[in-house]
This record gives sequence, structure tokens and C-alpha cells, in this order.
Amino acid sequence: MDTFYDAATRVRNKPILKWKEEGRSVVGYTCSYVPAEIFHAADILPIRLRGIETDGMDIGDTYYGPFICSFPKCILQLAGKGMFDFLDGAVITPGCDAMRRLDECWRKAGEDYEGILPSYFYYFDVPHKTEPHGMQWFVKEIRNLIDSVERHFDVRITDEKLKTAIRAYNQGRKLLQTVEDLRSQAEIKVSGTDVFAATVASTVMPRGEFTADLEKWIQSIKQNKPLKNGQKRLMLVGSISDEIDLVELVEKDNHAVVVAENLCFGARYESNQIPENGNPVQALAEHYLGKSVCPRMYGKYKERLGFLKDKIECAGVDGVIMQNIRFCDLHGAENALFERDLEAMGIPCLRIEREYGPLIETGRIKLRINAFLERIS
Amino acid sequence: MRPEMREYNYDWLMGSMLHAASRVSNGTPKETELTYRYIPYFKNVAQSFIGAGEIGIQILKLFDRYYENILTAHERGQKIAASTFCFSPSIFYAMDIVPICMELLTALGNIVWRRGMFDYMDYGVEAGLPETSCSSQRGALGAYFAGLCEPIDFIVCDTPGVCDTNANAFAFTATFLDKPYYALNYPQVLGDDRSQNYHVEDYKELVRFMEAQTGNKLDYDRLGEVLQEVEKQDALIADIEDMHTLKPTPLAPIHNIALYAGKFTFSGNKEYTRLLEMIADSAKKRVKIGASGLKTGDEKLRVYMIYIDHYTLDMNFWNWFDENSVAHMGGMLSHHFRDNIEYTEALEGISYGVDTSSPESMFNSIAQMNARLPMVRSIRGPYDQPNMWLEETLALAKNFRADCLIYNGTPGCRNTWANVKLMVRDLEKHGYPTHIMNDDAFDDRVESWVATRERLEEFFQVRGLL
Repeated sequence: MDTFYDAATRVRNKPILKWKEEGRSVVGYTCSYVPAEIFHAADILPIRLRGIETDGMDIGDTYYGPFICSFPKCILQLAGKGMFDFLDGAVITPGCDAMRRLDECWRKAGEDYEGILPSYFYYFDVPHKTEPHGMQWFVKEIRNLIDSVERHFDVRITDEKLKTAIRAYNQGRKLLQTVEDLRSQAEIKVSGTDVFAATVASTVMPRGEFTADLEKWIQSIKQNKPLKNGQKRLMLVGSISDEIDLVELVEKDNHAVVVAENLCFGARYESNQIPENGNPVQALAEHYLGKSVCPRMYGKYKERLGFLKDKIECAGVDGVIMQNIRFCDLHGAENALFERDLEAMGIPCLRIEREYGPLIETGRIKLRINAFLERIS
Repeated sequence: MRPEMREYNYDWLMGSMLHAASRVSNGTPKETELTYRYIPYFKNVAQSFIGAGEIGIQILKLFDRYYENILTAHERGQKIAASTFCFSPSIFYAMDIVPICMELLTALGNIVWRRGMFDYMDYGVEAGLPETSCSSQRGALGAYFAGLCEPIDFIVCDTPGVCDTNANAFAFTATFLDKPYYALNYPQVLGDDRSQNYHVEDYKELVRFMEAQTGNKLDYDRLGEVLQEVEKQDALIADIEDMHTLKPTPLAPIHNIALYAGKFTFSGNKEYTRLLEMIADSAKKRVKIGASGLKTGDEKLRVYMIYIDHYTLDMNFWNWFDENSVAHMGGMLSHHFRDNIEYTEALEGISYGVDTSSPESMFNSIAQMNARLPMVRSIRGPYDQPNMWLEETLALAKNFRADCLIYNGTPGCRNTWANVKLMVRDLEKHGYPTHIMNDDAFDDRVESWVATRERLEEFFQVRGLL
């Protein structure tokens, strides 16, 4: 578990530094639509870019305008401070307007701060629809990304290597699903904070190492004694979050335990295994675009509500905490709809708007969580 | 929402008022003056339009007709489609559907009502849109959420991939009001074969959706008629744009809003053609005598708006230009990317053509035209990439011989607020003094018009422009 916490709470964590010491490349990416398998197949460590450990926003605010979500600003801040100097490459995606503009902001900051822009800097266009022409576009984007990685890093990404990478990632997904099943049981043996740390770690650790550690951890969970009785079972949903502190805050006084999430960094695609046979690029496209439950895929609210309901039922959730980072309209608006529909089904909901970052609003958020817990007690 | 706001159907309220306003000038000048005494709250805005002569009056008639269409659509058995400013309504007219452009409705309310669209915007938040969402949709949508408008039948937009807040507002509305929804999605590039094909495939899917909603197949003869009208309009716009490059420009500031408001409401309709003919004729008369379109008759400065205008009460923004001898050289909304326009020559792949020779060519024409409307054209990809915001702005600023540039938007414009500082830095490097307005184009509570005006004046003074 220590490895997971180290990986989840530090930008420059041990697995990354060890990988670099071995002279191997690391590529960061901004969004869950990037198939990490491509980099794994090229023996490059793919890591999700994160905004933790920021201690100011002077660089983020210089390039971004004022009405922008603090998550990409924090990434830019870290980049500007040299915290990502281990990166050999970065892939930016149009996950949302603020995130896609990280492309321009980082490039322009790179003109002012020497050495902060990785030599490989790639814009990966992800469509907003899964109709045949959307899927076709995405397949081509994946192929273009593969070509570009091959050229820049002088590697060869064959179908066979991709299939091996898919198998490796599937194994991790399967194990994370086991963790999800364990935390859904009536007798809870693992805290939401620990689970979230593991899932966040999965986005920054070498896959083989992560899977091996996860397997051991699952065995240890099974030996755990059940957590305290009477805790409320909560679900955490909404804007992007990789902040372990946030889950910890919910669980802090032992009145509640987070038994499920629907967060970009959390466990949500684990039940989807990518087909290991057939065309690997097509399989990756159908998984990463076709199975997405992100609100940027407009017009699919009912599917997302259904996904949430399934998780709520499966994990026996007593209440749902919906958070959105200020200026994140996608989750802000969808949380309102979720609240309307879930409350109508008798599922209590709490909506919170907040800033991303090192829990600058701890007191206010805790107060609201406590009030919510009182309401559902 | 205050209870009294719920007493009136919003569409009826606006429709009745615009109907009356469009007839004020029917009387003698003395009768018109007398009428103003009876409408003190609307006097300034009425004077702004009526004072602009036959073009201003034609704009009022256009808006009157727009609301009449909305209010009578269902009686006439037509479907109503809610849509957005960067989506061409010509396809709706080809399919006998009545369009509603939400941003235009919000802008109109702001210009006309003393309290702007504040109550409706706030109701949008009550319904669930974040307060940080774009005010341009939130205003009119608030009235729809409150059930104060003619019900819409379905929703069409084209902003996924370009503007999250826009696309999200329409997606939210579809769920909130339980209406069918289709959104075109634009790639991050423009002009290459791959994105051109994507535009067409997506547009075909859209037409299938609209056929399903209306129960009618697309009539290609009718589409051809609409596109031929677009062809006439494009030719007129090309003439107008050409004259607009002259010093002094023969166009008045209000002509710029007429150019795009007409396009957003009646593209492919004879009403818009008539308006364009009026603008072209009046401009030609001024060109002959070398006269400026400004009321002061003296052009001191030429300003190009790199994004949108400011839709504050009584047309104060446009009036300010007129009263200060500042020529409004248009903005992202008013300019046009047909292949017969000079500034598109420098931007390969950015323009569209119209070909009505076959169903396939018509599909291609309308899909590519739609993809070249404001915002979806050049805010889609990184601002400094080919054909995107920077290149477009520099080409337009050069073509229209702008002295300085101004950015105006809404705090909800995440797609531009995320990179506008970079954009301005680059524009300054190219030698253009550039000002960022910090207001909300649709919500004067964010910054009052008086404060906005003072900041504008400060910019012109500090940079030695006026």
C-alpha cells in the first residue's frame, strides 16, 4: 500500500524515478481517452498528468485566463516549475475546453521558461461521438499517434506488441474490478481512500509492477477485519479528481466510507475488458471512446445515469456526493440533473462546487459533508 | 424567479413588442416622436434602430417576423428547433422547420429590457446550469426552462469540439426538457480532406435526425432554392465587405450587427437578401461621395472585434462607436468565409463554395458552409495553428485596415478565456494594440456598461489611439 500512496500523492514518485534511472522514456497524458497501451507497447511509461503538490498559481494564472478550472492550471504550474522535467513527451487531448488549451498554454510558457516543454508534444484529437464516422476518426487518430510515437522514439509498435499491452492492462483492470467487488460487499474491509490511492497509482505506475502489487494487496484486503459498523456508504462523483485528501476528508471521522466513485481517475471502466484478439487498434478505439461515461460525450445522459444507478445498487450506496471544480460546466450541469433524478428515486445527494488543489477549502467542504451525513443518518 | 415574471409568456412579450416597434416609423416623423413619449423605457432602443433609417427599421421587421414565426409555428403545423448562432438556419428553412437561435434571443432581451435577461439567466441557474455557464444561452434558455415560451420540439447544435459551454447548455436542455437532441461535432482542424469528409458524414446524420423528427424527407429542390438564395446573399456580402475595407468605411456600426443577426435568423430567406440589398445600396451611395457611415461623418479610428460584440441596453455599445467617430470593422461574427472574398485567399481551406448541381454537392456545400460559421470555424483548434484564430484575425485586421483590436466575450467562454492572453500577446507582437474587455457581453451585472465604457476609453487614451 505504501507504494500506491507514494505514487498517488507525489508527482515525482519512486516508480517514475526508478524507470528514468533505467534510461527509459516517460510520456504524460491529460485524459482518459489516451490508450496507455500504445506507450506500454513501446516500452515507454505512460503516466496521467496531475496537478497535485502545487503551492501557488502564478504560472498557471499567467497563461490561462481567470475563468478556467484549476486542474489544468495546476498542471501548467507544475510544468512551469520544472516538476515534470522527467517527461520525454506529453499528449494533450480535447477532453474539455480548459484541458485542450493546455496545448497552447504549455507551448507558450515553454517559450518563456526554458526546458519545460518536452521534446515530444502531441495533440490527440478525440471526437465527441461514437457514430461510425466518429469511431473512424478516432481509429485514425490512434494510428496517427502510433506513427508519431514510432518516429519520435524510434520504436516499432506492432499489433502483437499492442495485444500484449492490452493483455497486461486487462489483467490490471480485472484485479481492480476484484477490488470494486470487495468494497461493494456488506462487510467492508477496505477504505475508499486506500482504493482510490490504488486506482490513481494505476495511472502512473509501470503496469507490471502495479499489477503485481495489486495482486498482493488484494490478498491482504481479504485478511482484513471489517471496518466499523454503522458507517454511511457513500459514492463520490463529478469533476476530475486525483486528490486522495478529498476521499480522506469524507472518511475522516469514521462516520462514512466511500464505497464507489465515478471519477475520471477512479475505478469506472474496470468491468470492460478490451478484446485481446482481432484488430487491436479498433479494440482500443471501441474501449476508450465507445465505453466512455464522461459528460463530454454529449447526449448520453441516460446511459450515464444508468451507469450511476448500477453502481449505487451494486455497492449499496446510502448517499452520493457530487462535486464539480469551479468553471467545470460539464460536471456542474450534469450533477444538477443527477441530483434531480437520483433524489426522485430516493437517493440522497449533496452537490458541492470547489477548487482543485491542496484542499484549500477543507473546512467548508467538511462542514457540508457532515451536514449531509446528519441528513442521511 | 419573481412571480410577476411568470405572468407573461416571454415569446409573446417579445413578439408583441417587436411587432409594435417595427410599426412605430410607419407614421409621420411627428407621430413617431409623439410615440416615443408613450414608451419612455423603450425610447432609446427604438431610436437606435429607427434613427438608423430604413436599414434599422428593416432589422426590426426581421426580428418581428422571427418571433411571429415562432409564435405561430405550431398552429401552422411546423416543428420548432432550438439551435445556436454558429449553426446556419438555412437547413431548417429547407426542411420547413422554424429555428430559434438562443444567443440572438438573449442578446435581443438584453438590448431591449432595462433589467436585461437577468431573471431568466438566474432561473437557468435554478434549473441546474452552473452560474459559470455561458450567459448567451442561459438567458433565453431560462425562459424556456420556466415554461414561458412556445415549446421547442427538438434541439440541434454544432459546438462539441469547439465550445463546451455551448454544447453542454443544449445537452442539458435536451435532458431537462426531455427533447430529442443532435449535435454536429467538429474536429480540431479545418481545411484538410479528412475533416471535410467528417463534416459531410456528420451533416448527413443530422439530416436523418431531422427527417425523423419532422416525418418529412429532405426535399432537394427546396434545398436548392434555399442555397441559391444563400448564393445571392453571399454575393451581396462580398460587395459589402469590399466596400467596408475603404477609408472611411461607408458602413455604420449597426450594419455589422445587421449582417450577422440576419444570417443567424434568415440565411437563405428573401428577408435577409432584402436587408443586404439595403445595406449594399446605402453603402454604395456613401462610397460615391466618399462619406463615412458614422453619424459624426468623421472616421478617427478603425476597431476590429476579435470575438463578439457587447449586447448591452439600448445598443449603447454600437452607439458609442458612432458617437466617438470609431468605425466598427466587424468581428468574428460578422465576417464571412465564402470563397469569393479577398481575405480568404490568404487562408487556404478556410472558405466554402456553393454548388447546387446535385444532391451530393448540395450536401457538401451546406455542410462546409456550416463548418465555417463563427467560432466553429476558427476557435476549434489551437489558436496559433493554420486557419485558426490568430491567422484569421491577422488576415481580417489587415484586410479591414484596423488600427487596434478588442476582445469581448463572456466569462462562460472557456474556449477563448483559456488562450486569449496568449492571443493578445501575439497580436501585440504583430503591432496591433489589443484590449481585453472584462465584462460579460450578455450580463451587465458582471460589469456595468458605464465601467466597460470607461475601460475602453482608458485603453484608447493610454495607447494614444483617440
